[in-house]
Amino acid sequence: MSVTVPRGTLLVEAAKLVKVEVPVFCYHHKLDPVGACRLCLVEISPGPPKPTTACTTPAAEGMVVKTDTPLAVGARADILEYELVNHPLDCPVCDKGGECPLQDYTFRHGYPTSRIDAPRLHFKKPIPLSEKIALDRERCVLCYRCTRYYDEITWSQELTTDERGVHSYITSQFDQPLKSVFSGNIIDLCPVGALTSRVWRFESRPWDMDHVPSVCSRCAVGCNVTLWKRRHQLVRVTSHENDEIDEGWICDRGRFEYTHVNSPDRLKVPLVAGAEATWEAALTALLEGVQGRKLGIFLPQDITNEELFLLRRLVDGPWQDARVALERRTLLAPPQGETLPIKDLDGCKAIVVIACDTADDVPIVNLRVKKAVSKLGAKLLVVHPGHLDLDRWPDTFHVRPNPGETAEAVRRLIGHELLQEGPVGILYGDGHGAEDVDALTQAVVDLAEAVGGRVMPLYRATNERGALGVRLAGRQEDLEGCDAVILWGPGRPPASARFVAAWDSVPRPEHEGADVVLPSATFAETQGSYTNLEGRVQFLRPVLPVTPPLREGWDVLCELGQRLGMPDMDYLGIFHVQRQASRAVELFAPLADPPAPVPNPTPVLYGPARP
Amino acid sequence: MAEGQSDKGGHNVIQDVAALATGMRTTLGEFFRPVVTTQYPEEKSPRSERYRGRHYLRRYENGLERCIGCELCAAACPVGCILVIAAENTEEHRVSPGERYAKVYEINMLRCIFCGYCEDACPVQAIVLGPEYEMADVTRERFVFTKEMLLEPNPAEERPLIAGFAAGEPAPTVEGPGMTDQPRPTFDHRLIDTADTVERS
Repeated sequence: MSVTVPRGTLLVEAAKLVKVEVPVFCYHHKLDPVGACRLCLVEISPGPPKPTTACTTPAAEGMVVKTDTPLAVGARADILEYELVNHPLDCPVCDKGGECPLQDYTFRHGYPTSRIDAPRLHFKKPIPLSEKIALDRERCVLCYRCTRYYDEITWSQELTTDERGVHSYITSQFDQPLKSVFSGNIIDLCPVGALTSRVWRFESRPWDMDHVPSVCSRCAVGCNVTLWKRRHQLVRVTSHENDEIDEGWICDRGRFEYTHVNSPDRLKVPLVAGAEATWEAALTALLEGVQGRKLGIFLPQDITNEELFLLRRLVDGPWQDARVALERRTLLAPPQGETLPIKDLDGCKAIVVIACDTADDVPIVNLRVKKAVSKLGAKLLVVHPGHLDLDRWPDTFHVRPNPGETAEAVRRLIGHELLQEGPVGILYGDGHGAEDVDALTQAVVDLAEAVGGRVMPLYRATNERGALGVRLAGRQEDLEGCDAVILWGPGRPPASARFVAAWDSVPRPEHEGADVVLPSATFAETQGSYTNLEGRVQFLRPVLPVTPPLREGWDVLCELGQRLGMPDMDYLGIFHVQRQASRAVELFAPLADPPAPVPNPTPVLYGPARP
Repeated sequence: MAEGQSDKGGHNVIQDVAALATGMRTTLGEFFRPVVTTQYPEEKSPRSERYRGRHYLRRYENGLERCIGCELCAAACPVGCILVIAAENTEEHRVSPGERYAKVYEINMLRCIFCGYCEDACPVQAIVLGPEYEMADVTRERFVFTKEMLLEPNPAEERPLIAGFAAGEPAPTVEGPGMTDQPRPTFDHRLIDTADTVERS
């Protein structure tokens, strides 16, 4: 088999193209090659007859790579035997068992038995590295993927190795718990069961879960995730690699904040004055409550595009005077003109981050910026009053204006020496309310024009861009003075509210004493789509069924519309809503082409750690 | 034609009498043979040592459950009749050696085909198929055997743990060659270093 690849392609990547499996532990396609595990040994000619690591050798003109010579096969099997010298082989209790590259490779490339009968090295286990992650040093094969991830990708260097040689082990710096918001990715990265999730711990084995690809609901980046269910429960969330957005990383919020879906407290039936009621009675009570009153509606950050469209129709029609607030929203306006897509950060020669703590607000954009800076050589400028995660880069040019003076500081950047070479990416937030957003936006636009860059507004709420597209992104303060409020999601009723309807998946303290309580479906159950901060519409794929009497938000909004005298709100289903929304709202045009139905999930053969 | 018939008829009489005698000899001979009929249910026929009947979950001598909740039995089960939900052992609540134990262990005996694959798959020899085969019952629900019903009595406690047995009643014993008589397979410490794990953790 022959293959032609771009210059600099490593042999492991070239082998993938011709579907030849070269086993790897230390190599990961998003990390720099290191050649630590020696598992990828192949024989290369011309050259001396010795095994060579395929993960550090770039392909070259006329190079002949043999993976199946006795020398190469034997060398890989020897390495695997060596990896298993101290491995505890507690696969039955290990959460990686069933999707473990070490299991798979040993099965396919290793010897059937071990020749080693010496006692194994023992460590105390499991060691909690943080609230969410457990470390098992006995299982570790010292591939250094986790420590390299912390060095290269997050820049936070929270993991390291201690001791030498066979006694080496992974440990956190100064035995401090992991604090990074990106820590969960090391669970996916670990090719063995050394780093495991404490949230998913012993919940299920990989083979008894079903999974679907979906979209994360926790922030506006729109990372692709895989949702895993067992016995009608959402038991795990892992990343689903999409190089245009997340590059295979997700933050800990997306990975671990799903447990409310399985909460025993989940609201299942509507309540009217604290007593269980039918949907019909509850919606009647709601409509009577808001009748003739000044209505305020609080929206959750993960409201779908379809729900926004239907709500827009209601607010255009019967609820004309209603005020709407969106959870976690920034004060940014919808972007004017062309914006910078997330994937184009890779091509930027200089990146300016303005008035936004990216690690907190848009974590994966933060990782993309770090990649552009540390791996692709972009210059980094930050305009923010505080100390940021991005300051870990020694060459970060950090301007610290006083809060409220960011716009002037941005204007002073025009003509800066680091911005001479383009393309320039300008990322800006709202400074969490400390800035005059209009002045800041104007300064950012001026800067972009002056240096020839493109801007990327960093919204916070998951579907803030969609809400802006239908003009439904108000603030909590806007609800002050409303007599009747519908609190969809974690909103507080204003002091003036005389009628409160709560619509949420779990009971919340701020909804205490609500007149009507409606149960809502979560991101794991509802159909729909989100618009991420760059305006990309991505579809949710529900992994859990909506079990009556639970109803999806769009369904309830349709019924409300019909009861309010809008007979054309009798949509036949979500596709019908999507088709109409795609015609009515420019931003929602991709809704006309929803993805094919969920394909049958492929059986779990390889874990997420497999490159 | 007629001649041949008469010849054949005379011959047949002798043959018939001889056949009758042979038959009677067999019949009479049975009087003096040992009785093979088993008076079920008063008596039970012996079962082979490897008979696959009702399942049991075994314990170690110190009373800890063998089952580590790994679900390999459920994975091996061709009819999917086993449900395992695992949980983590803590110092205060230790159920099995090591980190993991089965919080829920259920077998739907109506679905089970008693193939014994679960026994084969078990890495700690926790689940075994015993000699008991009389499991008739009156409702379907009662065929879902829970962990309490499957667990063998705790030798560390006087009161048996098997559900349905009152306090003070002796632990149910199984007659004939069965679970208790089976040579227990030696535990492979390369698989899970049990004693060591308990001490260390």
